Amino acid sequence: MADILDILDIEQPGTTEVTRDSILHGDKMKKKYVTAKAVRRPEGMHREVFALLYNDNKDLPPLLPTDTGKAYKQTKAKLGMRKARKWVWAPFTNPARKDNAVFYHWKRKSDETKEYPFAQFNKQVSIPSYSESEYNQYLKSEDWSQAETDHLMDLCQRFDLRFIVIHDRWDRAAFRDRSVEDLKERYYNICGILSKVKTNPWSNTVTMVNGEKRVYHYDAEHERKRKEQLRRLFDRTQEQIDEEQMLLAELKKIEARKRERERKTQDLQKLISRADSGNGLPTCQSAVQTEGISTPSAVSSSIARRHDRKLHKKKLASQQRPIRAVETVTVEWSGIKFPETRGAGVWLRSQRMKLPPGVGQRKTKAIEQELRLMNIDIAPTPSEAICKHFNELRSDLALALDLKNALTSCEFELQALRHQYEALNPGKTLTIPPSICNTSGDGDVKPLSEIIDVVGSPGALNNTI
Amino acid sequence: MSTQTDFGPDSGGRVKGLVIVKPIVYGNIARYFGKKREEDGHTHQWTVYVKPYANEDMSSYIKKVHFKLHESYVNPNRIVTKPPYELTETGWGEFEIVIKIYFHDPNERPVTLYHILKLFQSPVNESAPPTIGRALVSESYEEIVFQEPTQLMQHMLSNVKPITNAPWTHDTNFEEKKEKTLERIIAAQVKVRNEISDLKEKLHLAKETISKFKEEIAKIQNNPSSNILSAV
Repeated sequence: MADILDILDIEQPGTTEVTRDSILHGDKMKKKYVTAKAVRRPEGMHREVFALLYNDNKDLPPLLPTDTGKAYKQTKAKLGMRKARKWVWAPFTNPARKDNAVFYHWKRKSDETKEYPFAQFNKQVSIPSYSESEYNQYLKSEDWSQAETDHLMDLCQRFDLRFIVIHDRWDRAAFRDRSVEDLKERYYNICGILSKVKTNPWSNTVTMVNGEKRVYHYDAEHERKRKEQLRRLFDRTQEQIDEEQMLLAELKKIEARKRERERKTQDLQKLISRADSGNGLPTCQSAVQTEGISTPSAVSSSIARRHDRKLHKKKLASQQRPIRAVETVTVEWSGIKFPETRGAGVWLRSQRMKLPPGVGQRKTKAIEQELRLMNIDIAPTPSEAICKHFNELRSDLALALDLKNALTSCEFELQALRHQYEALNPGKTLTIPPSICNTSGDGDVKPLSEIIDVVGSPGALNNTI
Repeated sequence: MSTQTDFGPDSGGRVKGLVIVKPIVYGNIARYFGKKREEDGHTHQWTVYVKPYANEDMSSYIKKVHFKLHESYVNPNRIVTKPPYELTETGWGEFEIVIKIYFHDPNERPVTLYHILKLFQSPVNESAPPTIGRALVSESYEEIVFQEPTQLMQHMLSNVKPITNAPWTHDTNFEEKKEKTLERIIAAQVKVRNEISDLKEKLHLAKETISKFKEEIAKIQNNPSSNILSAV
């Protein structure tokens, strides 16, 4: 019921129910209902903005910033929850002191009976002791007298094994000067011997590992060397440091140069091997050619065509030779030589279809153009068979292109010769076989006429003379 | 399989005369979001992959696959050590992805593939890559050829497990493509060879004609000169 009344904003009579809430802040609840006013949302204002301005209490937003809100207010530190304990000015004795001096300090009354708390930090080193007979039996040394040893042990006790201090306090009047290492060596030596001989060891020099006594062994020689090393390092002059830096830099340079050299030799090696393989192929090719000439009839039909082609080529080449001496028509026809399978290793099939670097850009473009005309992908799916045939096809295409070029230049030559003949022998002409001529298109006419002029004029001159 | 194992000092423990071929398929699949994503302008989600052509687990011989993306991606060098060797990203542009395949055998050098990431359908042509729904697939066939692998590598290459029991298929019908391509190439080869022999005959004729012409010219040049001489 109360909820409904709440929702409907109907004021309740204060006496209806006694709840925990109503006891705690009954007054406020009443107030809230009194101040609650329905503030209408202005036309056009967004609901979210309105909600920011007017909270559930429907209070108007404060005009001045206030810090009286409950939500974010920091709770005050709760001091003085317990009863204050008394402090007293009390005397105390420090057990670490042997003179029983009494000092005063403030302390809690409740702690009065307790011992001085800092006394526990007064740690004592347990220094081994020995009797006269023990010394004579075990600890005698050529280097150390008993008086000197006693002095050492006394100082160790006094200065808690701070050997630097011990060294400083060493009685140089009575005994000869000894280094820190000497002192340490003697001390730990004594400890070691005594711990072996005596049944109860001293805590700081002997540790028990798996029920076994481990005596701390002091390596004086190592320590001397170490200190000497540090001293030298510390005593270096600036020049020495500079020199070292310089030498290190030099070393780096030398190593870099070495690497560079190795890289270069490798490159050279590669180049040489590549050149070798490149040279190897043509010789092989020529061997096949000669073979083809010697036994042209004894080969099977499929190879016959290939051999035939080569034979043909050979024949042409031999015929061509005298002409080449006279005229400038240079013909090189070979197709493309794809590199043979290299040595062992992994490679991709498509790598085999790359045109070798010897093929020029113009030729590559021309081949690609031909392939496009024949509707063949310039990078087909690289299976072994396709790879082989594709390479052969491109080689053939290159050869065909070369042959076409050669034929064109031959045609030019024929035209030139005919004109020369006509000039020499007016009224007569030579007939070029029509099958040769069909390669030249209309575009070739112009350059032809130019050639006629150039070649023809010396002939004409000859004639007039 | 030839098993002529000859371990000479310079054979490097390689199996002489043995060649093992592992066909693979690599490429990408791309899916258009349908709009430009507001926060970064990305338009596509794509996955670049390397997978075996046959149904076999390549992890037995492949150590890792390194995909090098465009530098604008956060750490563009992505390494995949386990199959499937693929990488999914989002983006708005096409670029070349360098795919480097490393093998378990340290003696074998890694091989490098280059794939142009394809997001957009090119103008319809005959060799357009196939699409699945709205996804675009651009993939290529490749063969990794292990020439004289080491015995270790041979072992790894020949002991491959299948990936799935289900049939292993590809979006692109490479068998058909291979067949068609080969047919076309061989047909072209025949054509070009005929052309070559034709050209050679013509050239032969041309050369003969040239020499004939030259003889004729030489004759005339000799005759008039003798005529002139006799006249003088």
